[in-house]
Amino acid sequence: MTSSSHTAALGRARRSSGGSARHALEVSAGLAWRSLILVRRMPSVFLPSLVMPLFILVATSGAFRGISLLPAFDGASYLAFTIPLALVMGAGFAGMNAGMTLARDIEGGFVDRLVVSPAPRITLIAGPLMAAGLRSVFTTTVVLTAGLIGGVGLPGGVDTLALYLLGIAFAAAAACWAMGVALRTRTVQAAPLMQVVIFLAVFTSVAYAPRDVLSGWLATVADLNPVTYLLEASRAAELTGLGWAELWPALVALSALLAVLGTWALTGLASLGRR
Amino acid sequence: MTLALRQTGALAWRSVRGTLRTPQALFPSLFFPLVLMAIFTSSFGTAPGTIPGFPPVRGFLDFALAGAVIQGILIGGTTAGAAFALDIEGGFFDRLVASPVSRTAILAGRLGGGVALAMAQAVLFVSVGVIFGARVQGGVAGVLILLVLAALTAVAVSGLGIFLALRTGSAEAVQGTFPLFFALLFFSSAFFPRETMTGWFKAVADVNPISYLVEAMRDLVIEGIEPRPTLIGLAVVSGLALAAVIACHLAFRRRLAASP
Repeated sequence: MTSSSHTAALGRARRSSGGSARHALEVSAGLAWRSLILVRRMPSVFLPSLVMPLFILVATSGAFRGISLLPAFDGASYLAFTIPLALVMGAGFAGMNAGMTLARDIEGGFVDRLVVSPAPRITLIAGPLMAAGLRSVFTTTVVLTAGLIGGVGLPGGVDTLALYLLGIAFAAAAACWAMGVALRTRTVQAAPLMQVVIFLAVFTSVAYAPRDVLSGWLATVADLNPVTYLLEASRAAELTGLGWAELWPALVALSALLAVLGTWALTGLASLGRR
Repeated sequence: MTLALRQTGALAWRSVRGTLRTPQALFPSLFFPLVLMAIFTSSFGTAPGTIPGFPPVRGFLDFALAGAVIQGILIGGTTAGAAFALDIEGGFFDRLVASPVSRTAILAGRLGGGVALAMAQAVLFVSVGVIFGARVQGGVAGVLILLVLAALTAVAVSGLGIFLALRTGSAEAVQGTFPLFFALLFFSSAFFPRETMTGWFKAVADVNPISYLVEAMRDLVIEGIEPRPTLIGLAVVSGLALAAVIACHLAFRRRLAASP
């Protein structure tokens, strides 16, 4: 389907539906689907989001395995300890893809056509958000499967579900960040900026070791970094079972992230058409 | 001979200036190694002295310094290769070949630029490490040997980048090899000692030349000048550098033969 026929289909969606909320949902779903089929049409865009988490899983768990001999790890396998890191990176990449796709659509003129169509403007970020969440489900499945191959069994049903949901929430936060950047810079050349911030956010947390083991500046930064609480909840789900003690800080951190980055994306959307 | 040297110097200086004028090319090779060194030092600071098999070392920063130097050179080498490919794409390479410039100078200039940047980078990383509390046990002589190892590594890595540029003529293709270098780095003892690795991962690190190179540099920092690891490192990197230069030379001749 070409870009113009997409726009036309999105316009028809309005005429066939009733309320504006339903209309927005239908258009968002259409845009999410368009974003997802790009995976098949442009695998080079999606491939890094699949390869990088697997690389991080294998390289990190192999290179730094020795650190898990410290008492703070309580005998946990370092591969199992690294799985949440790989999940979060996979979700982060799924989110980044949303920003890169939006930037490409701005450069290619698709967004301009969408803005003059009857489609509600909010769908410009709601659609890629949906796609980011769905892509994170895919990357989470791949990472958990790689863990299974490596000998780390799946946690219980509720904990596995929690891993997926935490991944979706982080993908949404990363997507909001990346789309905010795309809407302001309007160029795909801003992709490194989208990536570097997400990399730094993840690696200045408890990415490689629990908080008890961290020292110096990183101990302070990790305490303030919302990704720390997301990773700790994911690790609890993976290793011991997720309890309220790990869940509520993660929920607070993710809510704060989504509120701030959602506002960042929405204000970026509001600026569209001003220049 | 003197003219060829002057041409090499001019082209090397052009290469250095080109990198310095494009911050987006320079930034990754400085930023990522320093940030990762800082993160690893804070994440694994308690490892020395507590983990069985970890070599005796004053602190993790001393241990991590060599890995940062190698990482910077690997990223810089990809940039040098990509810049050479851009010269090919933009037609500057063809104009150079058509001019009376020595053909050896065309290759040696780009390699020389890569070596100069790598040595400056190594000095910067060691200085940053020392400012934050690292100590080079090998002293000034140890730093000089480390710079020789860094220079030879730059010849090997930049040479590989230039070889790929000559074969593909595409900066994108050369940049595409970056993940390969990144994988080579992680599947070595660049960030953690081989003694703590197990299974197939250790087997890969054992045959990865980066391991021997980084261990030679690391020994100069954490133990001082030890002949065995230094000579092994020098032998490995000299072999790689020689292979890269030969590959560049052959690819250069092939490109010239193929051009109309």
